[in-house]
Amino acid sequence: MTDSAATSAPQTAPEASASSAKLWRKVRRQPLGIVALLLLVVLGLAVTLGPVIYAQAPNRTDARNTLKAPSAEHLLGTDELGRDVLARVLAGGRVSLSVGLLAMVVGLTIGTIAGGLAGYFRGRTEVMIMRLVDVFMAIPNFFLILVVVTAFGNHPITVIVTVGIGFWAQMARVVHAEFVKVRGYEFIEAARALGATHPRTMLKHVLPQVVPQAIVLASLGVGWAILTEAGLSYLGLGIQPPLASWGNMLQNAQSYLWLKPELAIYPGLFIAITVLAFNVLGNALRDMFDPRA
Amino acid sequence: MTAYILRRIGLGIIVLWLVSVVTFFLINLAPGGPSAAVSFERTASEREALLKLYGLDDPVLVRYGKWLGGVVRGDLGVSYNQGLPVALLLKQRLPNTLTLGLAALLTATILGILLGTLAAVYRNGWVDHLVSTITTLGMSIPGFWLGIVAIILFAVELRWLPASGIVSSGRSADFLDRLKHLVMPAGVLAFTLMPNVVRVTRSALLEVNRADYVRTAKGKGLPPNRVLFKHAFKNALVPVLAVLGLVTTALFSGSVVIESVFGWPGLGRLAIEAANGRDYPVILGATLLAGLLVVAVNLLVDLLYAVVDPRIRHD
Repeated sequence: MTDSAATSAPQTAPEASASSAKLWRKVRRQPLGIVALLLLVVLGLAVTLGPVIYAQAPNRTDARNTLKAPSAEHLLGTDELGRDVLARVLAGGRVSLSVGLLAMVVGLTIGTIAGGLAGYFRGRTEVMIMRLVDVFMAIPNFFLILVVVTAFGNHPITVIVTVGIGFWAQMARVVHAEFVKVRGYEFIEAARALGATHPRTMLKHVLPQVVPQAIVLASLGVGWAILTEAGLSYLGLGIQPPLASWGNMLQNAQSYLWLKPELAIYPGLFIAITVLAFNVLGNALRDMFDPRA
Repeated sequence: MTAYILRRIGLGIIVLWLVSVVTFFLINLAPGGPSAAVSFERTASEREALLKLYGLDDPVLVRYGKWLGGVVRGDLGVSYNQGLPVALLLKQRLPNTLTLGLAALLTATILGILLGTLAAVYRNGWVDHLVSTITTLGMSIPGFWLGIVAIILFAVELRWLPASGIVSSGRSADFLDRLKHLVMPAGVLAFTLMPNVVRVTRSALLEVNRADYVRTAKGKGLPPNRVLFKHAFKNALVPVLAVLGLVTTALFSGSVVIESVFGWPGLGRLAIEAANGRDYPVILGATLLAGLLVVAVNLLVDLLYAVVDPRIRHD
């Protein structure tokens, strides 16, 4: 994205139809990315509309119908408390996707602000911020997350912030590198020379150049956040039952591997497919923004 | 070179110190911090005695000073729940995590370089696409779920491998038995770590392949395989070395979850137990030790890097 971004930015009002045709050509070259995006839309619709269409309640226990095989009434069967597995997968998906998206927003926001300030102002600001980034990179993510969860508990909001904090440093690194690069371009110097203030230069001129990279990071970040939340909830430290999440569904399922292994299959399959879609989408976006492609 | 090494070590120590600051104050200043942990459902006098016992009656800065002073001498405090020194608990668990980690790291590195090389040699062919599919899956499939699926397949259905633990009871000297216990956790962990190695190897080889000296070697009429292994490979390994530092950090994160799936009594599982039981000294100690290992590995990687690529020492 580097060279094309630098040259296209100073252009005055490119012809709209020509640029959208160009964009469409780029999009068409990423069939896998399109499939991933469609899959994510379907998943999003399923977890939001699913509970409306599918009548079973995710948290209703039924002591006489535990660990049942799939039937017309329970499409994916029931779990160890007689709860409907499909309803829980849908409800859990809503939680896992929301936590993943929001955690990404938290991580990307902190990372962009920190990395942006460091890359724009350089000097002492840069040294201080990037040293802090080093520190957070030195603590293995999961240990850091354990420390925060132990200290602040596991309310869903806390889980979101915690997972976000788990990867702000990586985001900051990438954004920092981009800011340093864009900062050196001539049109930035021109903006400054014309009297643009620092905040204006950062927000109006540098930040837009970093957006493609940030979109790629965001897509990969959601995948990572969903994986982390799942791991955390699987360990009993994330989203707490009875609220379902794909991770905490697996926690109980492991006790029933010998009796009903399917219980462990469905939630994991949904995590894998969702994260895969976000990763494929992220890679497709990266290729799309890459001028060398 | 000596100056470079000393500077890197100094930087490592600073980072570690900051890690201790961040973790200590996160835990101690949080609303659910240690002093809250000892105050559930107790009378005022009991609470006071407990606070005194754990040294929690001092102001937080004094506590940090005392704690850090202990850490420097190898004293990480006493576990709230087990009543044993944290250092002892860590010492018991560390070898298990190192065994698992080294096995996974070795597998991931060897397989990763192999697959990355294949992908680069057969660029854009079906081998490349297959490798890219494997790496994308490795990045997307949750390690703990893959572990559960492996247990269903190899322990429950096929009964080839034990489902959990580090050794069968009463057979602690049996090497083969230990190896059988290691296969699944190490394999699963390696699968999740491999993608980074594959990607870096592939792109580094392709990058080197465009270099002038490789073109010269080809121009002289050397067979392609000879150019690849004699000329390109050595230089392509430099970025791969760099990514191993990153992979080690991911290794510690991954081992936390994988150790729980397979009941592997390592550092990660200790940290989980501590987090569940709000055992603050243990979680602090485990995090600091993990940080120490990460900093040490990265230092080692940096130094090796400087040995391999002399340009780095002189920046």
